[in-house]
Amino acid sequence: MGKAFDPLLIIEFLPTLLHYLGVTLEILAASIFLGLILGVAAAIPRLFKIPFLNQLVILYVSFIRGTPILIQLFLVFYGLPAILMIFNIDISKLEAIYFVIITYAISNGASFSEIFRGAIRAVDKGQTEAAYSVGMTSTQNFFRIVLPQALRIAFPNMANSFIGSLKDTSLAFSIGVMDMVGRGDTLISATAHALEVYITLSIIYYAVVLLFEKIFNKLEKHFNRYQSADLSVAA
Amino acid sequence: MIILKDIKKSFNKSQVLRGINLKINRGEVVTILGPSGSGKTTLLRCLNFLERPEAGIVQIGNIQVNAKNATKKDMLSVRKQSAMVFQHYNLFAHKTVIENVMEGLVVVKKVKKREARIESEKVLEKVGLSDKLHFYPSQLSGGQQQRVGIARALALNPEVILFDEPTSALDPELVGEVLSVIKEIAQDGITMVVVTHEMSFAKEVSDRVLFMDGGVIVEEGTPLEIFHAPKEERTRRFLHRISGESFFTALKEQVN
Amino acid sequence: MTIDLPFIWIAFKEIIKALPITLILTIVPLLVGFLIGIIVALVRIYKTRFVYQAANGYVSFFRGTPIIMHIMVIYYGIPLLVDQVASKFNLNIQSSKIPIILFVLTALSLAAGAYLSEIIRSGIISVSTGQLESAYSVGMTKIQAMFRIVLPQALAQSVPNFTNIFIGFLHTSSIAFLVSEKELTGAANIVASTNLKFLEAFIAAGIIYWGLTIIVEGISFLLEKRVTSYSRGGVS
Repeated sequence: MGKAFDPLLIIEFLPTLLHYLGVTLEILAASIFLGLILGVAAAIPRLFKIPFLNQLVILYVSFIRGTPILIQLFLVFYGLPAILMIFNIDISKLEAIYFVIITYAISNGASFSEIFRGAIRAVDKGQTEAAYSVGMTSTQNFFRIVLPQALRIAFPNMANSFIGSLKDTSLAFSIGVMDMVGRGDTLISATAHALEVYITLSIIYYAVVLLFEKIFNKLEKHFNRYQSADLSVAA
Repeated sequence: MIILKDIKKSFNKSQVLRGINLKINRGEVVTILGPSGSGKTTLLRCLNFLERPEAGIVQIGNIQVNAKNATKKDMLSVRKQSAMVFQHYNLFAHKTVIENVMEGLVVVKKVKKREARIESEKVLEKVGLSDKLHFYPSQLSGGQQQRVGIARALALNPEVILFDEPTSALDPELVGEVLSVIKEIAQDGITMVVVTHEMSFAKEVSDRVLFMDGGVIVEEGTPLEIFHAPKEERTRRFLHRISGESFFTALKEQVN
Repeated sequence: MTIDLPFIWIAFKEIIKALPITLILTIVPLLVGFLIGIIVALVRIYKTRFVYQAANGYVSFFRGTPIIMHIMVIYYGIPLLVDQVASKFNLNIQSSKIPIILFVLTALSLAAGAYLSEIIRSGIISVSTGQLESAYSVGMTKIQAMFRIVLPQALAQSVPNFTNIFIGFLHTSSIAFLVSEKELTGAANIVASTNLKFLEAFIAAGIIYWGLTIIVEGISFLLEKRVTSYSRGGVS
């Protein structure tokens, strides 16, 4: 580490790195979207106790929550081509970014399925009984009564998962993706000012996280606007 | 008309209902009394299959179901014959007052939204909540929520309305407003089965009173017969224990 | 490309030798972080003047940025700092002699401190005020009440959250691989590159992490049962 620390470089590096923020956010958006679909699909066997699929999901969730995201990245990066080769599909030329999106989607799917499952079970049983008492079927009850309330309950956890996933994208560069951190790496090779690059990256991540936290807070307040903590209102 | 034949139900090896036989005529108001654990709530919940009896026949109106081989479809068709008012109101938390009352009409009875709205407003006026149509349950007091619950049941115009301890969860000063609504409905000639601890209410409103203990109907008769001339020892003992409480309940109602 | 199943076992035996480093990278930051966390949590609850904002900023920053950034900034930043200080005071410390693992441990400890302070803080808040009030009513001071009554209950109730953090940092230790630490993932990479069997090596590593996670969850389950036995059987 030879060169002197130059704080001005932090400002200089900002535009260069911000330019690639879009890639990071694309990865995030795609993996969240796919993760939601996967999460719903995985929650269903668990909630309705579908045999075999139920056990499969339990295994899937346990493995994802039991291994570091870095290991998952490598497993998908080396494993997916190998599996698809069995079906004679050759994806060895596929860009790294797709492996990253797939890995994060699989990881998010596991978290989301657990969040959905917990939220649905958290809806007061009395709501379902009331639904049945007016003659609704279990399907009507699920979609009209339970699900809307479960979404509200799930929201804070989903928001946390979202922000966690944003932070996880910082590891994508390890399999060669040219996102914000990847660009930072090339900047380091060019200028040897690693500290300044990482400080700039930290500032960008921090700002984006704060922005999302503000948005989620506002959304949460909006969803809960009809929940009052104090029920002892005079008649 | 409601007929129960030989209803049996167990929870975890203990028999909660030991063979209940019951017939309720149209327009009758039947109150079920008894100590906790007597099975009265379970019996009520068997009427709309929120609890599933192991054996026996449930008939409401002209829908008859044998509990042993009841399919989901069977249970659903019996449920559509009744409506329930819950101890903890169980209003749909994410829907407004008017939406709560309309929900059953629109989704189950397939009534058109406009008609459902008109019907719901009528019923909400009857329970005295016309000014709270667009409020959410969390913004109402317990008494108001329960009145919405009653409106929700009324709107469906069912064969029978089932009341599961409708005032037990209410603050004392809110009990009166709910009881007077229930009394009005009784006078309108709606068939009702009520599980309650409110003795003076039972005396005033019921056509028939059932006393349950240990999973069987110990005694049944008119309020006069049960409260003033109980035949069974168990009935007498229960009433004696409660008599202290009902004294205070009567005072409270007078003050209200 | 076919999978060499027997090799997974060979890789497993080789990789698991790196377990001690992974455990050090997990446990040390959590222990240090716990101390940091208690101090920071108390500062934030009592809103101690001057330090309160700093504490908020610390927690917000370390929870709002990826851990890889923490590691990198400390990895590149501390040596510069050390060299500056050394030349100013004419000390004979060379930053290049400092083992890399210390940088990693420092970064991880700071991050752990932020996450743990949140858990401890929410644990303390969730202990009902009635407990504090009865402590005061028998004459305890603020400090006694906090350390004898509130904190023990807060920690007991937080066991599931602590477990999650433990597992989280167990996994986070794998990031140290990116700065050439020879923990589990680093060892897996070496085995993989030497034998050109990447998939098999990382499968072995995955199994090791998975197994460790399951063991930790099992221990936590038993621990939670023991530690919250005082609240069993009642409606709180």
